[in-house]
Amino acid sequence: MPFTLAWASLRRHGTRTLLAMLGVAVAAAMLLDMVMMSTGMRESFRRLLVSRGFQLRLAPKGTLPFDTDATIKHTRRALVQLRRNPDLTAVSAVLGGTIHVPRNGRVITSSALGLDPRVQGDYELLAGTDPIAPNAIVGNEEFIRETGTRIGDTLTVATGYDSQTREYLGSRTFVLTGRVRFLYGAARQRAAAMPLETMWKMSGRDRQDEASLFMIRVREGVNLDSAIQWIKMQNLNSTVISTESALAQIDERLRYFRQLAVILGIVSLFVGFLLVTTLITVSVNERVGEIAVMRALGVSRSHIVEQIVLEGMAISLVGAFAGLLLGLVTGRYLNGILSSFPGLPEAIDFFLFQPKAAWTALGLLALSGIAAGVYPSLRASSLPIATTLRQEAIA
Amino acid sequence: MILPLLLVALVQAPQRTIAIDERLAVDAKLAVGDKVILSAATPASPTGDTVIVGAIVKRSTDPAEVARSEIRIRLHLDHLQSLAAYGDRVDRFAVATRGEAATEQAIDVINSAAFGFQAHRSKDIAVATSKTFQVVSRFHKAIGVITIVASAIFLLCIMLLKVEERRRDVAALRLMGISRQSVMRAVVIEAALLALVGSGLGVGVGWVGSQFVNWYFRGVYRTPLAFSVVTPSIVTLAVVLSLVLGIAAGFLASLRLVRTPPLILFGR
Amino acid sequence: MTSIESAKPGAKGIGLREVPSVVEARRLTRDYSFGKELVHALCGVSFDVPAGDYVAIVGPSGCGKSTLLNLLGAIDRPTSGSVVINGTDVARMIDREATSFRLRNIGFVFQRFYLMPTLSARENVELPMAEAGISKTDRLSRAKELLTYVGLGHRERHRPSELSGGEQQRVAIARALSNRPAILLADEPTGELDARTGAEIIALFGQLNRDGTTLIVVTHDEELASAANRKIHMRDGLIVDG
Repeated sequence: MPFTLAWASLRRHGTRTLLAMLGVAVAAAMLLDMVMMSTGMRESFRRLLVSRGFQLRLAPKGTLPFDTDATIKHTRRALVQLRRNPDLTAVSAVLGGTIHVPRNGRVITSSALGLDPRVQGDYELLAGTDPIAPNAIVGNEEFIRETGTRIGDTLTVATGYDSQTREYLGSRTFVLTGRVRFLYGAARQRAAAMPLETMWKMSGRDRQDEASLFMIRVREGVNLDSAIQWIKMQNLNSTVISTESALAQIDERLRYFRQLAVILGIVSLFVGFLLVTTLITVSVNERVGEIAVMRALGVSRSHIVEQIVLEGMAISLVGAFAGLLLGLVTGRYLNGILSSFPGLPEAIDFFLFQPKAAWTALGLLALSGIAAGVYPSLRASSLPIATTLRQEAIA
Repeated sequence: MILPLLLVALVQAPQRTIAIDERLAVDAKLAVGDKVILSAATPASPTGDTVIVGAIVKRSTDPAEVARSEIRIRLHLDHLQSLAAYGDRVDRFAVATRGEAATEQAIDVINSAAFGFQAHRSKDIAVATSKTFQVVSRFHKAIGVITIVASAIFLLCIMLLKVEERRRDVAALRLMGISRQSVMRAVVIEAALLALVGSGLGVGVGWVGSQFVNWYFRGVYRTPLAFSVVTPSIVTLAVVLSLVLGIAAGFLASLRLVRTPPLILFGR
Repeated sequence: MTSIESAKPGAKGIGLREVPSVVEARRLTRDYSFGKELVHALCGVSFDVPAGDYVAIVGPSGCGKSTLLNLLGAIDRPTSGSVVINGTDVARMIDREATSFRLRNIGFVFQRFYLMPTLSARENVELPMAEAGISKTDRLSRAKELLTYVGLGHRERHRPSELSGGEQQRVAIARALSNRPAILLADEPTGELDARTGAEIIALFGQLNRDGTTLIVVTHDEELASAANRKIHMRDGLIVDG
């Protein structure tokens, strides 16, 4: 009977109930989005970092990977040193740079990576083959489209543009061997990759035998801290960055968004609670006469509280589920805005749906719906029956 | 005796001074007059120069610096060129002109005459480098829109409740002969007043919140940048929007009420 | 004021037989305080209602009739005195006990019907049975039986807003009878009804009493009062006659 009465009561003022559910849905959507944002960025970045199995990165001392133009010198020697350790199952050196492709009367500029295609964690091959040969190059969709090339085509690529002399340091002919997706590439960013040795040859004396970054894969079961200690002892004038420390750095940089997410999340929860409380309170106040009659008939206080709490829960739960769907949509939209941060890897999602966090948030909202109904119903069911009936008669 | 001393004085070059960023001064506990060694670790200067901290510079309100933990040191140009073995080179020139016409003329002259130079307007560079903040701004606007939608629904719900609470009063008025328009006008005026008072309170809360945000993030990022600004145009927008939403909510709620026959409002 | 104890049997059909009293009220008082003012609504009322009796409590407005009925129905507590219904003193019960007692032993009919507007006639009758834990099947059949008894078997699915005043009151009477109470209390049951409809309700009450229901009604309606077996007259919080 409490279910019947609760349902009947909600239907009695259909418009009001629908509006309240809609309001809760928007609050729930916002709450879900904020929960997704507060945990999603970190998780998304973590997944990206471990996607190819490289647990450690070496960056020039005091910097983050590709944060500055600084490089690690004596790369060949460093590779030999690092590969001597059997616990390090893969070591990949990467050098970042800029290339220029003269094409049909214009010059297309693109970022480029010099790497060892046999041991790399920067791209995913979508079509064709890896750039094994010295004159092989692979590019992403934007690079291929802008240069108007197809797999198998030759193209001239230059590096080291000097604005003073308007000349290039190095220029050679490449064969496009594959189409790739760069894992750390920003959206709509043109990018290509070639063998590291080739990059060195094209970059002039300044960048010979240098790397922007080393990526290291550690054998499973090996203690990461001991691996880090060993690497530090090799004196490579670099900073060792584990996945955890990289995440900590990202946390620091994105602290604003996490704090915003917490604040807006709390506000959303509060607004949802306030809406349901207001509605239930007004609804109960309108029905004190009915409640007194039910008490007079012998309906217990707990059953009256149960009925009213059910009403609050129904509004919150329906609103929460609608908010879940709405939140996924608005999350996608907000993610689209934030994903256009310059230089942000395309693979990073600010709003990542993680079931546990989402259900926790929506559970909180449902609980708030319950709490919203408790006080007004306890108050109404405790009113003296005779007095209330008389007052209702007078009113 | 005097001559050798003069010669020593001439030969011994005075120590160069640098200006350091206030964050470095705090982190490294440096003060004006302290000596530090500055090194670019180049073949020209493998051990570095001993310099004196001549000034501590306040951080600028440059948003691009906010999330970065790098520090800035200012040196005399020739000093940096020799320290970094940069030679007689610079990264850029900054040019001040007398007015817009002079700026355009200068750009034309420089780009056509100077080999390997490209002149840019400062505001164009500012636009190009502020893409990050444009993204943040768009994000804030989107959050703002969602908040407004939620508030509008909340407002409509509350107005509906308020108006329905008084349905018997409205029924009595209608039975007495008061017109629908009069009833609606009264409700809309009430809603508008509520919206005005509410928006006034909201502006106050928003201003206090803004002060708190600035105080907090200035402390976190150690910058004088203003993160949140309440401007007259923002206040105007908030008040106007509240009024519009409040009046709309009052109108819709009262319309529902006056369309219902009075006897039904009485519950008969 | 001194209390007047009244122990007269009913005028019709009760006589001097030893009939167990369903209701025994002893020296009931009820005071209300409004700020500094203390109002004595009841000043020491005592009477008995034997099983199967039909009693009308009459008197001018403000004499304490409804207050007395509320005490008998355990929806209010006396300042002093006792109310024993079917051997149980309800005056000293805590709220939870009184609620449960009302559910199973007392049926209430109000002047303004007080049906749940969102429930159908049948659901309104089922409400007390559902609270008492009666199974869906049993309460469904009993609700139909009661609605048929009051002449509304064909209107069970209608909401109160779709029923006339008299029909609503009949549904309210059916609801009051749903848990087979020991007594049926009615507070001005014809107060909101026209003469013709009121007469129907009066006739229904008569039928209920003939079928064995113990009735106590509070009324201004002379016709309703006349239909009862005996009248208890009240004035100024006291029984003056009956």
